[in-house]
Amino acid sequence: MENVPLSVGDFVALTNQTLDYAYPSVAVVGEVAEFKISQGKWVSFKLKDNEAVVNCFMAIYQLRVPLADGMKVLVIAGPKLSPKGYFNLNIRTVKPVGEGAIKKGFELLKEKLEKEGLFAPERKRSLPRIPSSIGVITSTESAAYADFTKIISERWGGLSIEVAHTQVQGTPAADQMIEAVRYFNGLEVMPEVLVIIRGGGSAEDLQSFNDELLARAIAESRIPTLVGVGHEIDHTLADMVADVRAATPTNAAEIVVPDRREIIARAHQQATSLGYQTVQAIEQYSLRTREQLDAAFRRIQEKLDGTFERLGTLRVAVAQLNPENVLRRGYALVRGDATIGSAIEIETANELITAEVRDVRKK
Amino acid sequence: MSEKNKTVQEKLTELSELVAWFQSAAFSLEEAFEKFKKAEALAEEIEKDLTSLKNDIKIVKKKFDGAI
Repeated sequence: MENVPLSVGDFVALTNQTLDYAYPSVAVVGEVAEFKISQGKWVSFKLKDNEAVVNCFMAIYQLRVPLADGMKVLVIAGPKLSPKGYFNLNIRTVKPVGEGAIKKGFELLKEKLEKEGLFAPERKRSLPRIPSSIGVITSTESAAYADFTKIISERWGGLSIEVAHTQVQGTPAADQMIEAVRYFNGLEVMPEVLVIIRGGGSAEDLQSFNDELLARAIAESRIPTLVGVGHEIDHTLADMVADVRAATPTNAAEIVVPDRREIIARAHQQATSLGYQTVQAIEQYSLRTREQLDAAFRRIQEKLDGTFERLGTLRVAVAQLNPENVLRRGYALVRGDATIGSAIEIETANELITAEVRDVRKK
Repeated sequence: MSEKNKTVQEKLTELSELVAWFQSAAFSLEEAFEKFKKAEALAEEIEKDLTSLKNDIKIVKKKFDGAI
């Protein structure tokens, strides 16, 4: 080979062939420097540590987490010598490593999605109070799944639950979950709620839930979403874009269905309260009837009182007109003709007197 | 639909409607007792249904390998 002269192009091709054979895929950890995006399509940066620097290159659609200078990242790449003589790592995937870089990547993406309004409260849909079908995306081998199904079975019955088994950490996890979200959204009869759950873990373990494409797939889901990842204190972009966030997988089970014991107790309490209301209504009706009767009696009494009062007045008036009363006051009643010589009768209160008319004069 | 074929959700809705009727202007003493008996029967049925119903959990057969 050393004696065979090669063209420059052949040399580059041969080198790439050798590199591809020897290093089909390399994982390299380093710090990002001189990060830039060209023409809105291409991403380039330098990956460096204290000893060396290597150029990195990728298409922007492969970038799932925003990068910035100074972030420590793990890249999965293929080494390549370009026709222009530059040695590059052609990146397939890149993800932040270490708490600082993960946090930085999370903050950058959070800011980006927030600007797009993906966390806006007005986007949030409410979940059906009692769904009849649920789609679940999780690892069926996880304790989180076991907890979720245990709690949900304790709380409610008659549900149709379809579970999509996916990885929930590691490089393929985000894509698998995206595929599962799309699967449920593509069903002819979609579940009424889509639940995505994962138990607790380190920031690195939960990183798949901070993937931009997964966050967008959840935000675009036609089925209302409920995401419960990690513990109470863990916040991921997946739960921020979800319609409802659960603090834990157990909490997701508590949110998605009501507790049958509460519903049964409430149903009985409602029925009992209707009995009380019926009795109360009967009492009210009786009270109202009694009041109406009382009012009628009062009205009759008033009428009677008025009549007796009028009768009393009339009695007084009649008594005043009685001639006996006039005689008792000293007057006398005279009967007979007022002609001279005739006899007349004079009645006083106590006596009847007969007298003769001696004189009659005009007044 | 007969009472037996109704879902728990439908029975809960029916119970809520009965409760609402008692608060409404349509309330009449003549019908109240009958409706109360119906509510009691519904509560019993809801308890029976919820206690006996099991969830049907199925694992999706499709393999999710992340080909998106």
